[in-house]
Amino acid sequence: MSQPVRIGLLRLADSAPVLVAASRGVFQDCGLAVRISVEPSWANIADKLTYGLLDAAVMLPPLALACTLGLRGVRAPLLVPMGISQGGNSVVLSTAVATAVGGETGAMATGRRFAAWAHAQPEPPRIAVVHVFSTHNLLLRYWLAACGVDPDRDVRIVSVPPELVVAAMAAGAVAGFCAGAPWGAVAEEQGAGHVALGSSEIWASHPEKCLAVRAAWGADNPMVLQALLRALLRAGRVCDDRAQAGAVADLLGSEFPGLSRTAWRAALPGGGAMEQLYFHAPAVWFPWRGHAKWFLGQMGRWGWLDGITEQEKDVAAQSYHPDLLEAVARSEGLNWPDEAHRPQQRHRGAWVWEADPRPIDMRADLFCDD
Amino acid sequence: MHVLLADDDAIRSSALIRVLAAVPGLRLSHLQSGQLLADAVEMYAPDVVIVDMARPDRDALDDVRRVTKANPRPIVMFVDQDDPDFMEAAINAGVCSYNVAGVPPPDMRPILRAAIALFRRHKEAQDELRVVQTRLEERGVVDRAKALLIRERRMTEPDAYRWLRRRAMASGRRIPEIARDLLHDSGKAQP
Repeated sequence: MSQPVRIGLLRLADSAPVLVAASRGVFQDCGLAVRISVEPSWANIADKLTYGLLDAAVMLPPLALACTLGLRGVRAPLLVPMGISQGGNSVVLSTAVATAVGGETGAMATGRRFAAWAHAQPEPPRIAVVHVFSTHNLLLRYWLAACGVDPDRDVRIVSVPPELVVAAMAAGAVAGFCAGAPWGAVAEEQGAGHVALGSSEIWASHPEKCLAVRAAWGADNPMVLQALLRALLRAGRVCDDRAQAGAVADLLGSEFPGLSRTAWRAALPGGGAMEQLYFHAPAVWFPWRGHAKWFLGQMGRWGWLDGITEQEKDVAAQSYHPDLLEAVARSEGLNWPDEAHRPQQRHRGAWVWEADPRPIDMRADLFCDD
Repeated sequence: MHVLLADDDAIRSSALIRVLAAVPGLRLSHLQSGQLLADAVEMYAPDVVIVDMARPDRDALDDVRRVTKANPRPIVMFVDQDDPDFMEAAINAGVCSYNVAGVPPPDMRPILRAAIALFRRHKEAQDELRVVQTRLEERGVVDRAKALLIRERRMTEPDAYRWLRRRAMASGRRIPEIARDLLHDSGKAQP
């Protein structure tokens, strides 16, 4: 057997497919030896991928693109052969801010009231995200801007790790935060704040974590990569199964001690959290380049890609590699989407994506200001 | 040169402080416990930051790479372009450093070398401690399993050990694992 695959992940519900594949022998069934490395920060994941201390990771797509573009200093080409999760983040406001902003529901109504509150503050209120190059930051900024808040002037967006953010909010150091599951549930459990909206209310069916692998490792180990994709496709299906959610919550609780099982369970399918996390259907696994382009477009919107050429952006979008997944996905019995014919317009409700052999029933994919 | 040390481990950081005290012209600040890294960097305005990579708040330093109006002093992770093994050694040891606003000071490299050496020694000691702890724990588990076999199946001690060893060999697992399973099953049988 070859060297074990070194996979990095954080203490998040999105890491469930890797844990499931390890604990249920799915990696073994696919002929893989795996070493899981639970990291304390996204910077560790990015640095270890950059310097060859990890082969693969459950990753934030904008951070994967940032590594490939060299935005963290060293250019570190990564491949994104697969999506891991969809949805699952929450925008949480501290109890005081939530009270001031009021009880209106709906992303735009809540956002406009938040805008009025933020504009009335003497200093720009601080809002925490998990990392500058995170889905959370880009979705939060999209929502704020749509509601009339300039995310670079009217508020101050700072990076605070999730395990510290609830305490920071309780202490009044931040007015709110946007983070993945289970941190919204944890904040509510501890009485520190309220979930104001789920990230799917900002962009329905938004892509969340992806699998990123070092480009050089992927090129040197094509068969191992195929086996890894197969194992994660199978594990993703398990994680989407409501009947398994209790067992998956137990696994998360035992691998990542310190948080209540209730919080983990709430984040998983059928768990009753306001924001729903998906691991498999519909086509969560498909690394669609349209998603890469949206992330790059938003990174450019906030001035983070100044000095990057259009050609470099195209190359970064090409780091999404559906071609690496296709054979595995088909052999696992999945319908393979027709990337070239995805409808241009977005959808208010259910829609159908042409796929081979059978079309895929998709969910709404509107933005909050559509 | 002003160095900010972000390491909550008291023994390791005092060792590094002792080493750095010998460097002429070096001023050292130490992150307060509970203080966020980004806040400390703003407060102390150091030239160099040495960071324990186990800190979850290291992510905040990725925010301040870019020069903006709010942030005129970008912070860049120190990378030795001429020596690719250097970064691997640093990350393996669990330490990295950042320099603030411009080129790294010329004596940056020996300072980071010293930090790497200390972090590595600390990590080796921790790893060794963990091995010893695991062995002690495993011995306890095997002793308890033997006691269980002696009590409930009326075995002698050598027989109990042989019973565990036989199972381990047959299943290709280690004796402590067999012992743990045995205790676990008996725990289930008698709630």
